[in-house]
Amino acid sequence: MTPEQQLQGALDGFLRAYRARPDLVAEQQGWSPVIALEASDAPARVSVALADGRVAGTGGGRPPTLAITGELRTLCDVLELRRDPNEPYLFGELLVRGPEADFVRLDYVASRLCPR
Amino acid sequence: MSALKGSAGPAALVATGCGTALACVCAVGLLEIDRRLGGLWSVAAVLVAALLCAGLARALARLTAVVPSGVGLLAFLSRGLGRRWAMALMLPYAALILALVAIEARIVGTLLAALMPVPPAAGAIAFLVATWAVARAGLRPGLRLQAAATWLLIGGFALMAALAVARAAAQPDFLARLLPAAPAPMAFVAGVGQALFLFMGFELVTTQTELARAPGDVGRALSRSVQVLAAFYALAALALLAMPAGGTAAMTPRLLLAPPGAGPLVAAAVGLLCLLASFTSWNGALLTLSRLVYALASQGLLPRPLARLDGKRLVPPNALGALLALAVLLTVLLDGTALVSVVLAAAAAGAALVWAASVAVRERAPFAEPGRPRRHRLAAAALAALFIAFGLGAVVETLPNLHTSKGVIAHGR
Repeated sequence: MTPEQQLQGALDGFLRAYRARPDLVAEQQGWSPVIALEASDAPARVSVALADGRVAGTGGGRPPTLAITGELRTLCDVLELRRDPNEPYLFGELLVRGPEADFVRLDYVASRLCPR
Repeated sequence: MSALKGSAGPAALVATGCGTALACVCAVGLLEIDRRLGGLWSVAAVLVAALLCAGLARALARLTAVVPSGVGLLAFLSRGLGRRWAMALMLPYAALILALVAIEARIVGTLLAALMPVPPAAGAIAFLVATWAVARAGLRPGLRLQAAATWLLIGGFALMAALAVARAAAQPDFLARLLPAAPAPMAFVAGVGQALFLFMGFELVTTQTELARAPGDVGRALSRSVQVLAAFYALAALALLAMPAGGTAAMTPRLLLAPPGAGPLVAAAVGLLCLLASFTSWNGALLTLSRLVYALASQGLLPRPLARLDGKRLVPPNALGALLALAVLLTVLLDGTALVSVVLAAAAAGAALVWAASVAVRERAPFAEPGRPRRHRLAAAALAALFIAFGLGAVVETLPNLHTSKGVIAHGR
């Protein structure tokens, strides 16, 4: 499996978990970002677009509004809900570019999905 | 990383650096420096501190370029020293920020008591609660609005300081006060240490890296913030010459900030500027610290209830509430000039230690360039040592003189 396939697989799993929570999806109404995830240590880059909180494909080539960079393992750990995104973000292992409000919202979604 | 266009231009970033450093409690710091040194010696202390901070700004620019994290110092120190050392350095720093907020609240309380019939304690707590309410509601003043407020603040106070210097220049003893007798070496070291405190907060420009429009903007903003703050504080230090000779020993920040004989309109304008400065400082500290508390609680390092996030407003309400409670408690406890002097000295030392660590980390992986000449590591070691020496100097000189320290903050008089 290539790094990009690995990252895409992790993202697909995250989106499945997200779709399985209609209450959480409904809470994100009005939020329509294009989120890009890129590994800093491997050739892997994936993206997802949300429209009114609902998954709406990969973004169709639109520029991302939120870009997240980290090691492949860290990104996969977060997407596969093994780690809360706050921890690697706090200690500089996950880098974000884009409006803070978007990252805080994404962090909120991930934290709700991540079992504690 | 994708080429996302940020929203924060260079001027807004510089305003962020200056706005987070400027607070009414800095007037207290300037008074402390004036009591130790006076005249051009105070200016010299400010400029020495500015030189050190200029070196720090260059180091931080590199740290931000390699790890462009909105978390700032904690992220840099974690990557360079490991998480435990980073936390050991940053947690006391965060605690001292909260203590400074408490002193700021007491100053605001004193100012409000001068402008309206409100007990200082009530004014202080009202200020804390009002700022907390804004943060709790999820309201975040836009960068442009914050920048405009900061430039208004700097412009307003700089004008007042310039007028004060002009008044002082007309006094017969101006030259004698401009060049007082040389202070003892330790007094100057302590003065520089106290001056470092004046710059505390400028490094938070690094937390805006996610919003910067172009790479390098944050680095440039760091350096320019130091320059703007140095010029401002040097002018403010000179403005103290307008006060009666020996008067700063019994001065309160509100008298410092309003010219003698000023009418109610001027006093109100000064009060408004001070409230603006205090609000931007406390609001910024509250939001930053609440995210830290939330994140630590998420990891189980703090009680789990503090990790709750309001899904609608996207703020951690329990963390915000806990910080408000702590700030109110500290505001009540930090009553007395001795305690305030200790906090200011400790803040200077705390900032100096974190900054020394930042300078040192710049020379380590992942920040140091391969093949970086040894002379840079030696220069960084020297700068770090100077930060620690001056920071310690502020503490060492303050502790024996606590019983003689007076007039740092009056109780509504």
